[in-house]
Amino acid sequence: MSKIKNFFKNLFRRLFQLDDRLLLIIAGSIAGICSGLAAVALRLSLESVLELLHPFRQYGWAFILPAVGALLSSFYLEKIAREGAGHGVPEVIYSVSRHGGLLRFRSSYSRLISSFLTIGSGGSAGPEAPVVMSGSAIGSNIAKFLGLNDRQRITLVGCGTAGAIASIFNAPIAGMVFAIEVILGEWKFVNIIPIAIAAVAGAQVSHAIIPDQVIFNHLPFQVGGADILPSLGLAVVTAMVSVLFTKVLRQTGKIAKKSSLPFWARAIIGGSTVGIIGMFMPVVLAEGYHSIQSMISGTFSMGLFFVFFAVFAKIFATAMTLGWGGSGGIFAPCLVIGSLTGVVFHKMLMVLVPSFGCASEGAYALLGMTGLVSGVMQAPLTGIFLIVEITGGYETILPLIVVSSISSTMSHYIEPASFYFKELIERGQFLRPGTDARILSDLNIRELIETEFVKVSENMVFRKFIELLKTSDQNFFPVIEDGTQEYKGVIQISAIRKFALDPGMYDMVFLNQIMDTNVMTASLENDLQEVLDMMDINHMDSMPVVENNRFVGMISKTRILDLYRRELIMQTSDH
Amino acid sequence: MELSVFDLSKQLGVAQDTIERWVRQGKLPVFKKGINYKFDTKELKKWASNHNIKLKFSDKTDLPQKQEQSIIPLSVAVQNGGVYFDIQGHDVNSVLKASIEKISKIPETFKTDLLDRLIEREKALSTGIGNGIAIPHPREQLSYLESPLVSVCFLDQPVDYKALDNKSVSVLFFILCPALKMHLHLLSALSFCLRDHQFIDFLKLKPDFAALVKKIEIIQKTNPI
Repeated sequence: MSKIKNFFKNLFRRLFQLDDRLLLIIAGSIAGICSGLAAVALRLSLESVLELLHPFRQYGWAFILPAVGALLSSFYLEKIAREGAGHGVPEVIYSVSRHGGLLRFRSSYSRLISSFLTIGSGGSAGPEAPVVMSGSAIGSNIAKFLGLNDRQRITLVGCGTAGAIASIFNAPIAGMVFAIEVILGEWKFVNIIPIAIAAVAGAQVSHAIIPDQVIFNHLPFQVGGADILPSLGLAVVTAMVSVLFTKVLRQTGKIAKKSSLPFWARAIIGGSTVGIIGMFMPVVLAEGYHSIQSMISGTFSMGLFFVFFAVFAKIFATAMTLGWGGSGGIFAPCLVIGSLTGVVFHKMLMVLVPSFGCASEGAYALLGMTGLVSGVMQAPLTGIFLIVEITGGYETILPLIVVSSISSTMSHYIEPASFYFKELIERGQFLRPGTDARILSDLNIRELIETEFVKVSENMVFRKFIELLKTSDQNFFPVIEDGTQEYKGVIQISAIRKFALDPGMYDMVFLNQIMDTNVMTASLENDLQEVLDMMDINHMDSMPVVENNRFVGMISKTRILDLYRRELIMQTSDH
Repeated sequence: MELSVFDLSKQLGVAQDTIERWVRQGKLPVFKKGINYKFDTKELKKWASNHNIKLKFSDKTDLPQKQEQSIIPLSVAVQNGGVYFDIQGHDVNSVLKASIEKISKIPETFKTDLLDRLIEREKALSTGIGNGIAIPHPREQLSYLESPLVSVCFLDQPVDYKALDNKSVSVLFFILCPALKMHLHLLSALSFCLRDHQFIDFLKLKPDFAALVKKIEIIQKTNPI
């Protein structure tokens, strides 16, 4: 009986504890389905509220609608959910790199609600980032429920992300690539399979529930060799627009932060501005999937100059929405701006060379989208695969790759960090796996110190110390006060050599006369980076660690190198 | 075999905190037994070879202890070696020869070889350290000896030993050791004694075996190594 029990126990351990692939695939597909459902829910509610509010758009007072939405949204985030504004993707990336993907359960719905309020009322923002936040929080909480470790939790966070993106665009591969390229930042064999399955699950959920409302139904395009040259030009244009978009977004946010207005006033100002722009150009309002659809299908009816201004209007409206208190992402605005750019480019091409036999306006809208996604998010693969999946074929792959690579390279040259990463880099929280910053943040002082040290009293006679020296292999002796045991200083053998070789000194001095009290000390709370900087500046090879006036141990460069190497091996090798 | 966090931290030479963090981050193959983390050696070995990490498991989980060299105090070495009086001879080689013949702890078959080595050492640099004392010893260690010995030989008449201070030598301390570490230790202990002027004066009285050992024991107490 016990043999059978043991057999099953062993089997369980082998299947789920020691080899977690099966577990991750099952949990990942659940995460994918859940985040797919979240995405579908947001989509459906956005559709219905936009439908509901549509009749009021013609009235003159309609411009306050986005203001009310932004106000409610920022009020909800500030007072009820108590989460910072913004789109949430940097938070997910930071959590993945620093806290093993730990996210609050609250995050799985709070951004959905706030972005619903923002976008539903007409604010120019994307629902993707909130859905990504929600999906990754769902994945993280599934992992928490199952008691999984950091690595497995990160995979599930990726699964949630992939499911969300896959579901909202009905594009499983784009979802998977986005999760790995942007959120996780490492292509690992063990991650890819669960994430791919989650992405397919998410896409299937949206396909099953809202088959008619899939944003991009597969649209075949005829793109020929003649389009290569124009696509080079388009790439340059999209790179410029990407950089402009990123800069405007950041600057507007900075201005809003500088102004000492309360959050509700900011939301009202931002929302009203968007509303006023929207009165003249409805294309800038909301997430803009409908405009994208009409641009791709070639039924977009605006003139060249109007579209040209719409590009900048959309950029400004998005910046005002996101920077001044609204909640949402930049993915959908990127797509709208990209397709607008594509349309402008095509229209101008037609004006300049009327008989040029290039592809349709819709194809250029798609290329423009790729350019913007690659440029702003610096996620070229996501851009390529999204469009490939939308068009349902590889006919467009060559111009796509041209646009994507040129656009991402150019905007990388001007703006080295993508929109998602820039915030993290500024806060010093950009810790991609296998990087120096990541390893230093993982190793803390407590793990590195050597604690086995003989301490000496400050009242010890030097001769006694010399006796001690004969039997010890320590190079550093912490000196402590007799009664209180407090750290007083340190004796470094190399520093006292000339006294140690002079027997005449032996009975003349006490240790507190020859100890070094000016040695820089570290505490357990210090970051390893700080400690290393201190050591570098002072040319030290080791440094005492003192906590609450007590000597805890020594930290040395030799030991750091040793453990740094191990950590590097641990982080960079496959699991 | 199962290992605990503590065992593994000793094996890998990292802190327990590090092991716990690796477990939390999912980098080690681990399973739970009750509330404690346990590691399976077989799984760990597989993991280590996949990760190119060197991992040695002995049956004992503790690290190999440093081999504790049996350091014996000088007084014991003198007890091993013995004290000999009235060594005849009128130059370095002859007193060395006479002494070696007297020291009973040296196996008969090695005596000529040892003498050659001692003479060779004296030719290189005299071991007369001054104050009428010399410390003859071979350069190579003598693996045939079971334990280190210090034999004290009082000469019948002082001999010119080419000592550092040109004084003629009347006492020889033979240091014969099976291992270098003991040799250095005894040399250090002996030179400490010989720095003591009272001890030098005491030696001039040609004390007997028991008195000499006792005197060395007293000096040792002030200089524990």
